[in-house]
Amino acid sequence: MKITQIAGFLGCGKTTLLLKLARDMAGNGKRKVALVVNEIGEIPVDGKIMEESGMQVKDIGGGCICCEVAATFAKTIYRLYKDFAPDHVLVEPTGVAVPHQVKLAARMGGRDAKITMGPAIVLFDATRPAELLDMDMLGQLVTTQIKDADIIAISKVDAVEESEVADASGRVREYNPKAEILRLSSFSGLGLDLLVDRIIDWKE
Amino acid sequence: MDSNKLNGAGCYTEHGVSGYGVAAKLSRKEPMNEAFVKGMAETMMLTIADKCMELGARCIGHIKSHLRTEAGTIKADTIGTVHGSYSSGTLTKPVKDLYIAINSIIQGIPEEAVKAATLEGMHEVADQRGLSVVKEKEHAYFDAFDFVASKQDYVKQLEEQLSAAENPDSNQEK
Repeated sequence: MKITQIAGFLGCGKTTLLLKLARDMAGNGKRKVALVVNEIGEIPVDGKIMEESGMQVKDIGGGCICCEVAATFAKTIYRLYKDFAPDHVLVEPTGVAVPHQVKLAARMGGRDAKITMGPAIVLFDATRPAELLDMDMLGQLVTTQIKDADIIAISKVDAVEESEVADASGRVREYNPKAEILRLSSFSGLGLDLLVDRIIDWKE
Repeated sequence: MDSNKLNGAGCYTEHGVSGYGVAAKLSRKEPMNEAFVKGMAETMMLTIADKCMELGARCIGHIKSHLRTEAGTIKADTIGTVHGSYSSGTLTKPVKDLYIAINSIIQGIPEEAVKAATLEGMHEVADQRGLSVVKEKEHAYFDAFDFVASKQDYVKQLEEQLSAAENPDSNQEK
């Protein structure tokens, strides 16, 4: 059971991507894919929207899985392994979660389950790089997310000019020299096949 | 790793992020078609975002809504007024009633301010468009975390949820 997280700040397109990835990866029964969604705020809009799309979703509320409800997340991972044994678990943490802490929590759940970790995919919204990176409190959070990424997907590239995509890519590269950076548009499908390949082929 | 929970703080708290959610039933005497509902929802998202910024928010994290009707569902959201708002979904026929869930996640203002902006925005836009807020309940969704409920169940459960909120004494055994 491979656990892959789709992280990134609020509003960067995680939910839309997760749905498309899950469908592509499931590929008409080729693989068993489970979704875990965590949302701060009061009510689980993301989970509902996914459920309406016909996906079975495990929703974790009541806090963030990277800190407050990490133990709940770990138990969820273990229970998924025991009850469903999916090939892949796609995890959407909250938009403010720290990816390396999500990984640690997942590993807690994997103590009694046979799991491997997929890549930490972090989305970076090409439509608002300055808004995300240049603010003191938020900037620290977003740069932490970028630093933790194995793969950085510059999202919403269909909504901006090519120069803005290049600018966003350059800015995130400053914080993470090692991660693969790719371009993503869940709207047009750009980058989706590549991400599916990366998840399936990923070795720890 | 759960030590933060014991302290009552999460990663988002230290970054000044607050959230507020509400569910409501909105009704209008004249039927509302898809374009009307989408326009209303998009305006509502932007109005809430505006009000958050007026109250001192530094960044709109994400304001999302999910509207359910007997003719289908609509989703609308915004990440800030300068980014506009977007909606999707379809209604197969005009409707007079709809259920809406709104989740506002904002940086830079406390939860009470997010709550004020969300409720004011919802009521203001509903009022402008001739809708009345028949019922509302905060911290709630349509179906109390039941992800396999049918659409009919969603509606029934929300009705019960909202009724219980209106008549707390009649719901003590739950």
